[in-house]
Amino acid sequence: MNSKRSIKLLKQSLILGSTVILLAACGNSNDTSDQESADGRTTLEFWSFWGSGARRETIEEIIEEYNASQDDVTVEHVYQPWGDIWTKSLAAIAGGNAPDVIVQDINSVKQRAEAQQATNLQDYLDEDDISGDFYPQLWDTVLYEEEAYALPFNTDTQVLFYNKTAFEEAGLDPEMPPETWDELEEMARQLDQGSEGNWEQIGFYPRWNIGVDVWALNADGGEAWFDSNGEVAINTPEKVEALEWMLDWQDYYGRDTINQYEAEFGSGVSDPFISGLVSMRGQNINYYTNLVENAPDDFEFGVAPLPEKEEGSGHWSWGGGFVLEVPENTDHPEESYDFMKYLSSTEVQEKFGMNSFDIMANTEANENLKTHEELDEMGQMIYELADQNLAVTTITPVPLNAPDFNSLVNTEIDAAFLGQKTAKEALDDAQESVENLAE
Amino acid sequence: MAAEQRIEPKKKPKRQKMNKRQKKEALWGLLFVSPFIIGFLAFMLLPMAFSFIGSFTNYNITSRMDFIGFENFTRMFTNDQLFLTSLYNTVFYVVLNVPLTTAGGVFLAVLLNRKIRGISIFRTIFYLPAILSGVAVYVLWMQLLSPSSGLINTVLSWVGIAGPSWLFDPNWTKPALILMRLWSVGGAMLLYLATLQNVPIQLYESAEVDGAGPFKKLRHITLPLITPIIFYDVITSTIGAFQIFQEAYVMTENGTGGPANSLLFYNLHMWNKAFVAFDMGYAMAMSLVLFAIVIVLTFINLKLAPRWVHY
Repeated sequence: MNSKRSIKLLKQSLILGSTVILLAACGNSNDTSDQESADGRTTLEFWSFWGSGARRETIEEIIEEYNASQDDVTVEHVYQPWGDIWTKSLAAIAGGNAPDVIVQDINSVKQRAEAQQATNLQDYLDEDDISGDFYPQLWDTVLYEEEAYALPFNTDTQVLFYNKTAFEEAGLDPEMPPETWDELEEMARQLDQGSEGNWEQIGFYPRWNIGVDVWALNADGGEAWFDSNGEVAINTPEKVEALEWMLDWQDYYGRDTINQYEAEFGSGVSDPFISGLVSMRGQNINYYTNLVENAPDDFEFGVAPLPEKEEGSGHWSWGGGFVLEVPENTDHPEESYDFMKYLSSTEVQEKFGMNSFDIMANTEANENLKTHEELDEMGQMIYELADQNLAVTTITPVPLNAPDFNSLVNTEIDAAFLGQKTAKEALDDAQESVENLAE
Repeated sequence: MAAEQRIEPKKKPKRQKMNKRQKKEALWGLLFVSPFIIGFLAFMLLPMAFSFIGSFTNYNITSRMDFIGFENFTRMFTNDQLFLTSLYNTVFYVVLNVPLTTAGGVFLAVLLNRKIRGISIFRTIFYLPAILSGVAVYVLWMQLLSPSSGLINTVLSWVGIAGPSWLFDPNWTKPALILMRLWSVGGAMLLYLATLQNVPIQLYESAEVDGAGPFKKLRHITLPLITPIIFYDVITSTIGAFQIFQEAYVMTENGTGGPANSLLFYNLHMWNKAFVAFDMGYAMAMSLVLFAIVIVLTFINLKLAPRWVHY
């Protein structure tokens, strides 16, 4: 009797078990965002990829202060690894259990707005217009059909780093970085040491750390592959010249040399700029933190805007960044927006910038950081340069009609660097295939 | 498997009515396999059916799913040059990778199927790479393949060969990946080794009496007797090779497909369409095409099998 009963019990529990699994798999558990804690506060889930170092510490401090500053909302910071966060959030949005606020890529806001993955924030902005707090080109990225779907958080810009000691040794004035492409080339030749196959010091190579897209935009008055009117502008004469110029650099140092060095840099064993192998390089201004942390104390470097193609063509540069977004169909958009507004306020932006050395989206925050007493002279100078550079920095949001056009352009550019096509042929072909994709 | 089917009577056995006890047993059986059945339905069959339907829509995951007929398929073959690139890259990889890894596995197994002192140590050494997997191995290989300071080119330079730039030269990227895969043929080797040990020793003895040398023994005894396993290995590794994704995703910057898109494999292109362009309908259509390709190849393999597989 007893064993029969226990078998029956086992059977029942097996059936029950599999049903529960099935139901759990089908239903969506929305419990975290619905939850109100015992003290009547709403819990907001905030996803970022700031998992370590200064950014994590700072954002958690900021959140703690926010939670203490009012009685309605508790924000919970959830760290998602860089490689996962956006595929994960996409799945969460599609599954109807998205977090309340996500740090998203600045270039694809329109794409998500169109696909109804982000909440329209225009109503809140109509009430209290804060669009003027941000750099205008950053604000443009969050607009879809003239309504806002995100708030800009931080940004960056490409600049030229150069080794002052190497400048002195080559007889160059360390306070006079190159202003134009010609000067850049002249100085690089003076800095070069060695010969093909055996370089001890490389003055400059334009394709290291920034791409053809940046130099093309620099040459073409700040117009990217898709120009400011949204037209495909890949094979403009200026961009063809830019690519030709870059190909000349490759010829000069030799393709094999370049490949070898790239593989070494890729392994990340040593930083060629710090080790003195490369004397000048174009790079994201964030690289400054890297230098502060990793370079020896006596390492003397300078930072300058990217040289312009020729006098008067403009020191155009390129930038990216991140925004704060409320996914579609969350339960507390109003509270979420309030938190986002807090994160983009001058005071909080200033704090985040000061600890992370990120260039902030809030204009006033950067202005304040230029003279911030807790920053040293060099740190203040970085913000000075960033603020100045943002006036000539283009942000390139993903075009809605060709979101993945980049791989087509890169194929052609690679073909040019492999010697299979001339600069003109490569960019003509890229123009044609991207137009074709955009149709 | 095929042999069993041949022995099976052609006539269907008459279906007998189950008695109460048998019914009860059947129910228990079902109950115990139910986790698998439920899992299969929820995580395999339903998603597959959904993806089949999605192939004919402009599904973008969150806001739209309109029926657009065969548009995804026509676009694939007429208006997506990267689709053909990715298909070419994948076929190139499969065509080189499958025969080489199969031959490598057999070769190693034959070498290691000897009774010499310390053989188990050698077996372990050759099997070890197969248990390492994933990103760590790819990063290790990126360093081994480094053009100037990598171990592979260093060794090549000892014998006077200037090694290629491997992952930086579009002509050498795919061979580099195949080389990396060859390093871990240990899994297949283990299968062959187990089979080799079942080859009856008498066959070799009688062959020796007839004066057969080692090569003839390999050609006429060993190889024919392990053909069923070779067949199994070819089928599974073909399917596996078509699914190559991780390697290219990790070893190219941002999963973009490497120099001149030479590592843009089918699944990587599909991934980019789905999660970069949000063009999930198109990605689903691509997966359907891949499914069809693999089915056709497997079918051809099955049809050709009787000509060379000996059971």
